[in-house]
Amino acid sequence: MSDVFGISVSALQAFQQAINVTSNNVANASTPGYDRETVNLTEAIPQPDGGATIGAGVVVSGINRAYSQAAANQLNTSQSTLGQLSALQNYSSQIDNLFGTTIGGLSTALQGFYSAFSDVANNPTSTASRQALIGQAQSVASSFQNASGELSSLNTDVNSRITADVTQINSIAKAISTLNNQIVTGTAQDGGQQPNELLDQRDQLVSSLSQLVGISTTTDPNGALNVFVGNGQPLVLQGQVTSLTTVANQFNATQLEIASSASSAVISNNITSGDLGGLLAARAQVINPAMNQLGQVATALSQTVNSQQAQGMDLSGNLGAPIFSVGTPLATGSSHNTDAVTASVTVDPNGLGALTANDYVLSFVGGTPKLTNTADGTSVTPVGTGTGPYTAAGISIVLSGVPANGDQFLVQPTASAAGSLKVVLSNPSQIAAAGAVKTAAAGSNTGAATISPGTVLNSAAANLLAPVTIAFTSPTTYTINGVGPNTYTSGGNIDFQGWEVQISGAPANGDTFTVSSNAGGTGDNRNALIAANAQNVGVLQNGTTSITGGISALITGLGSQAQQINTAQTAQAAVNAQALTSVQSTTGVNLDEEAASLLQWQQAYQAAAQALSIGNSLFTTLIDSVNGTFT
Amino acid sequence: MRITETMNQTQFLNSINLLESGINQTQNQMSSSLSFTTASQNPTGAGSVNNYEQALAQSQQYATNAQSAQTNLSTEDNALSQVQSQLQALRNLALEANSGILTNSNLSAIATQAVQIQNSLLALGNTQNGNGEYIFGGFAAQTQPFTLSATGATYNGDQGQRQVQIAAGQTVSDGDNGDTVFNQIKTGNGTFTVAAATGNTGTGIVGATTVSNPALYDGGTYTITFPTAGTYQVNEGPTIVANGSYTDGGTIAFNGVQVTLSGQPATTDSFTLAPSTNQSLFTTVQNLVSALQTGISSSASSTAFNNSINGAINNIDQALNQSSNVRTTIGGRLNSITTQQSVATSQQTQLQQSISNLQGLDFASAITTLDQQNTTLSAALQAFTLTQGLSLFKFL
Repeated sequence: MSDVFGISVSALQAFQQAINVTSNNVANASTPGYDRETVNLTEAIPQPDGGATIGAGVVVSGINRAYSQAAANQLNTSQSTLGQLSALQNYSSQIDNLFGTTIGGLSTALQGFYSAFSDVANNPTSTASRQALIGQAQSVASSFQNASGELSSLNTDVNSRITADVTQINSIAKAISTLNNQIVTGTAQDGGQQPNELLDQRDQLVSSLSQLVGISTTTDPNGALNVFVGNGQPLVLQGQVTSLTTVANQFNATQLEIASSASSAVISNNITSGDLGGLLAARAQVINPAMNQLGQVATALSQTVNSQQAQGMDLSGNLGAPIFSVGTPLATGSSHNTDAVTASVTVDPNGLGALTANDYVLSFVGGTPKLTNTADGTSVTPVGTGTGPYTAAGISIVLSGVPANGDQFLVQPTASAAGSLKVVLSNPSQIAAAGAVKTAAAGSNTGAATISPGTVLNSAAANLLAPVTIAFTSPTTYTINGVGPNTYTSGGNIDFQGWEVQISGAPANGDTFTVSSNAGGTGDNRNALIAANAQNVGVLQNGTTSITGGISALITGLGSQAQQINTAQTAQAAVNAQALTSVQSTTGVNLDEEAASLLQWQQAYQAAAQALSIGNSLFTTLIDSVNGTFT
Repeated sequence: MRITETMNQTQFLNSINLLESGINQTQNQMSSSLSFTTASQNPTGAGSVNNYEQALAQSQQYATNAQSAQTNLSTEDNALSQVQSQLQALRNLALEANSGILTNSNLSAIATQAVQIQNSLLALGNTQNGNGEYIFGGFAAQTQPFTLSATGATYNGDQGQRQVQIAAGQTVSDGDNGDTVFNQIKTGNGTFTVAAATGNTGTGIVGATTVSNPALYDGGTYTITFPTAGTYQVNEGPTIVANGSYTDGGTIAFNGVQVTLSGQPATTDSFTLAPSTNQSLFTTVQNLVSALQTGISSSASSTAFNNSINGAINNIDQALNQSSNVRTTIGGRLNSITTQQSVATSQQTQLQQSISNLQGLDFASAITTLDQQNTTLSAALQAFTLTQGLSLFKFL
């Protein structure tokens, strides 16, 4: 008889607990990281009394949380990839938006610059058109500077986000280690019962961590979770945290790298996912390459314009001064170098075709120089020994001393060019629109030969502008300034003192031609014509790509990169939504389901209460009947 | 599968974000009338548009260049046409002076007119264009090319000729230097000259001279003498090249050339046939002016006067020829500019078309897209509100 009370009370207690668990589920339906919980009901074991056994009711043997390690791992991995792509996309789309379809007006400015050169060619004596050309040159330079400034500020942003990420990673790691301790103690105290709330919190932290950096985890038998980043560097081991730190890049103090505080070894290369991985990738794959490519075009522009200037003559009869200046390429010794040898780099004036937008590491191992392309890891052995010059890839590197074994230098041929491009010519009359030399046939010539206007081969030649007489000593021979005879070929090149002319046709004996300085030739536009046409001349990529072509290629390159990253990010967002769905369908709370459970437990509770009431009335009946008998 | 609150919310937010960013992009397209405003929306398109725009800017620049060349060439053509009319006037004066009926005072009046023409020609040689450049100075565009001298004019310019780019790989000269136009003019008939010796006492006058067979003329210098009255002899140095009987107004022919002599040369007279040399137009004019100013003082000087006026007329004809040759090349250049301009115009239309095809917005399809996106968005919103209303708790 007393069984019914015991059984019913056990049921009432169990169902109340079940209702509590369900209410808790409802309460946490929107709590991030909450895993749905269910009660484990088990039959109570009755005391054997030798007869037929009747159950002893129900007991709550545990409260389980719905959790799938596999699904959670999948979601964490997917979140890391998404975090990486989102950070990458943030930067690539910022560049995409800032640059638009003209690199922030750069391509328009370049068109204006070359057009202005053409205007000078049309009207070489006009100060107004020369002034306009300088104005256009300035707008080209400031377009390059702006684009480079935008990229630099993105790099600064990357640094501050790296610092913030590392701080956050460390604080999450600390929290995980604390939870580890609590879980280990809690599990031990509760006799093996899982502390669900602590586990939920820890899983949620791991999930947040996976958005910041790619991680792998292992669980110890005592319930502690170990977290590893990168290539297996421990971040959390039980209650122990090995925090991450930021250190300056060994070559470039303005770029932060990630190191493990244990060994202070740089582990940036191993961090390839999560927001942190995305930041490093944005810098290495998007921002720096864009800076280098811009710099490559800026270098080519400056060199071609200036060298054309040098071959021409300005209004005052001087050889042209440079229009642009561009900072010297960067070459930085590693902070790990054991000596103070410094490197300086120049771009080979004739090496524009070989100049790339890549960075290189020049290293010396066992005295052998090696130039390694940081983009693809390929390396070449540069020509040169001792302190140099070492030449390869269109650059020439000179060292201040003999490098020690293991010395490394980061060589960035074009990284600083776009930001340092400046207009250094301010006097409009200094634009060298005219050719440096002019030619003339003597009026007394009786032959029919003509002389070409003359071009400059080497503007540095000492006697370039000294007057020279080419005199024919017979229809087939000539002397230059009395030296000869040389054999005449109609249309053949005559090179002398840095210039080149062609004489064609049939000269007569005694005919003379002169080549002299073009000072005063202010109406000449030969040099400006060539300069205006330079936009179509291939100088980059082994002479296959012109300067404006380089800009178009840069626009397409950056655009496709941004497009590709957008696509990958969108795809990964879908994958992530899928992983989230998979986790949620296991661990999440469905309110309808909980409502049904509530109903179920309510009815069970009511039934148990009814059972108790029936027990009570049975007992009353018995008492009453006993009372009646005895009255 | 269990659908949870979080799933519902997340999925809804994700899809609303996607739909709204789609609408945002379409709105951007429509407000800018461009089908893409960043390179990522169409990377190859953006690169191509950049190339097209560069080609367009270049083509427009070529048009500007062509216009500038056109202006300069028209200025030159105009100057040369005036040079021609001045030379024609001078030639008429020379013919008039050579008519044999004029007195020295008449000649001096003609000389005055000739000097005026000389000044006009000098002014024409120093023509400046709208930018103040001397068009006949060669490269030395800011130096006055011609200054008068005792023997004609000094040329201070050079032999430069400016080129202007009117199309990719095509340049035209936007002028000619004064040396070519005014100085490099062959004397005589363009191949050789025949001049009377200064001491001639007879009345022999040089008439028409021609090259009858260019292959036979060797460019040598010949002397025509008259050993006896009625005979002539042609020498190249000591070598006798030809001889025969002299007829007044007859033709002496040898080695591919023909010379007409009239009048009665004396036996001591001689004429020299020499290859043409270059002579400045201004020297020719100066020589004519000097001859006119000197006038006629005797029968011998009358013959010399006639010969020198004839020579001057020959040289003026050569100068006229030179001017008209130069004007012909100017016409040719103007023609190629015009051709190039029409090519450039259609090229520009083509390029603008290409740019608009790539980057221009098809409004009809953009509006349709926007409409679709709006419909989808409102459907998604409605679906969310509808499903949010569904909860078992409502029925408890």
